[in-house]
Amino acid sequence: MSQLTDDVEKHTSQYVEAFNAGDFETVDSFYTAEAVAVWEPGKPLTGDARREYQREFLKNRPTMTAVPRQTFVTNDTALLIVDWTIDTVDADGKPERLQGTGVDVLRLGEDKVWRYAVDDPYGQA
Amino acid sequence: MAYTFSVDFDPANPDLTSDSETQNDIFIAAFNSGDGELFNSLYRDDSISNFSGEPLTGAARLAFFKEFLGTKPDLRASITHAYVAGDVALIGVNYEIDTTGPDGEPVQLRGVCTDVLRRGDDGRWLMSIDRPVAATGLVAD
Repeated sequence: MSQLTDDVEKHTSQYVEAFNAGDFETVDSFYTAEAVAVWEPGKPLTGDARREYQREFLKNRPTMTAVPRQTFVTNDTALLIVDWTIDTVDADGKPERLQGTGVDVLRLGEDKVWRYAVDDPYGQA
Repeated sequence: MAYTFSVDFDPANPDLTSDSETQNDIFIAAFNSGDGELFNSLYRDDSISNFSGEPLTGAARLAFFKEFLGTKPDLRASITHAYVAGDVALIGVNYEIDTTGPDGEPVQLRGVCTDVLRRGDDGRWLMSIDRPVAATGLVAD
């Protein structure tokens, strides 16, 4: 459905559900083939590099909360501003909480499914 | 057109390109021209501009641009980051705008802006969504 504004809470919650289940394949299906993710500031990843980073990250079974703060939706492109937290473990296995305000760009596919084209979790200055 | 563009630009058929510095040069030149219709042509019909503090599209967006640019505010902007993902791009800019307040006094607006651009079916890149967050002046939220 193109009415992302109505569905954005659901879209975000479905992503969070897959993320928290550690389900890489489902999480990856939320991204366009050419998506860019900037999980470390200044280091944009795409393609296989993006997938491998995501796959590794999910192995620690992180848990995410995400609350959309602002949503701007055109016919086929959307910008979401999302407050998020991720509880995971650091390199030494100690609990670590990450948090930020993300800037997400979504594109509506020809199959009428919205997917992340840009995932910039620390993008809000 | 009497406006001077430092980059190759056809006002009758605008294309911001996929290059962020070219985008910035064209955006600044169109903004500083004071021509709201020209500036509006950098946007798609369904694009959303938050410059006014409200998300505007279509005729409301054009009307705001004409009013806002009519006093010839002066924009300076620099790119902070740019990501291109297929036919969509996200860029960040720092901006400063020198304009005049309601009583004619000089006012400076500054902040950061997040812009989403789209490449249309005709290959041209145009603005899809802008979202300025002001340190002073116009605020998106």
